[in-house]
Amino acid sequence: MYGWIWRHLPGNAWVKALVSTLLVLAVVYVLFQYVFPWAEPLLPFNDVTVDNQ
Amino acid sequence: MKTVAATTDDTAEHIEDGPAPAARRRGTRPLALAVSVLGELLITAGLVLGLFVVYSLWWTNVIADRKADQQGHRIRDEWAQSAPGGPGALDTKDGIGFLHVPSMRNGEVLVKKGTSTDVLNDGVAGYYTDPVKATLPTAKGTGNFALAAHRDGHGAKFHNIDKVSKGDPIVFETRDKWYVYKVYAILDETSKFNVRVLSAVPRESGVTKPGHYITLTTCTPVYTSRYRYVVWGELVRVDKVDSKRTPPRELR
Repeated sequence: MYGWIWRHLPGNAWVKALVSTLLVLAVVYVLFQYVFPWAEPLLPFNDVTVDNQ
Repeated sequence: MKTVAATTDDTAEHIEDGPAPAARRRGTRPLALAVSVLGELLITAGLVLGLFVVYSLWWTNVIADRKADQQGHRIRDEWAQSAPGGPGALDTKDGIGFLHVPSMRNGEVLVKKGTSTDVLNDGVAGYYTDPVKATLPTAKGTGNFALAAHRDGHGAKFHNIDKVSKGDPIVFETRDKWYVYKVYAILDETSKFNVRVLSAVPRESGVTKPGHYITLTTCTPVYTSRYRYVVWGELVRVDKVDSKRTPPRELR
């Protein structure tokens, strides 16, 4: 999978490395900005109040 | 059969791009390919879970502290602009005051209305409006000032709640007053459905008469939400805020 991506990136090894880094950063950004904030309330780690539910 | 197919593939790949050994490792055997993709997916899943831990325990704190700082400064500005004793003391949109618990060693905690995730995720402590309405210290009459805040992540304002012991001061600061409470009871584990801890007269803490109480709730043990940790305090005295905002001696 990652090998496939690497082979399909353009340019020489340095360009590929740079593009890969940018891709990784983009994925981390999407995770931190959208996926984790969405997932967090669904997981039972951070409920601090007492309530009836 | 297999050998023939592999050889054909090898040749094709060889012509297209790159040397033969690399070509043999790629796409020639469906099983090997499936295993390597599965392996990479599992590694990815592990990394994503690791990132989630980083997110919950570090990044949410960064975001929440930034928000809480902004809101806290806004309130301090508002307080500085309005004359003490004048109107504006009940303007509670941005928050009603600051909580100081020296034994938690976390500075001042902004207090806002409500205990929903939206409120608490900004790195503040929220006072309960549901299931039990908290009585604000500024209100007339007796009652329980019940608060909640995060134990981990999102500012983790009550992270050190287990460092609070009986007799420790809890100070709540509003525009015009310092409300000094003293911790008199601690419940280090209770069910999350135990809403009685928030009652106006929290009998579980050992009191039976109406009074001016404060209740801090958060989750326990750390990093989970299995139980709730509760700390109760009772009002000792109320100091007026002077022109220099000198803190009461408990905070010095």
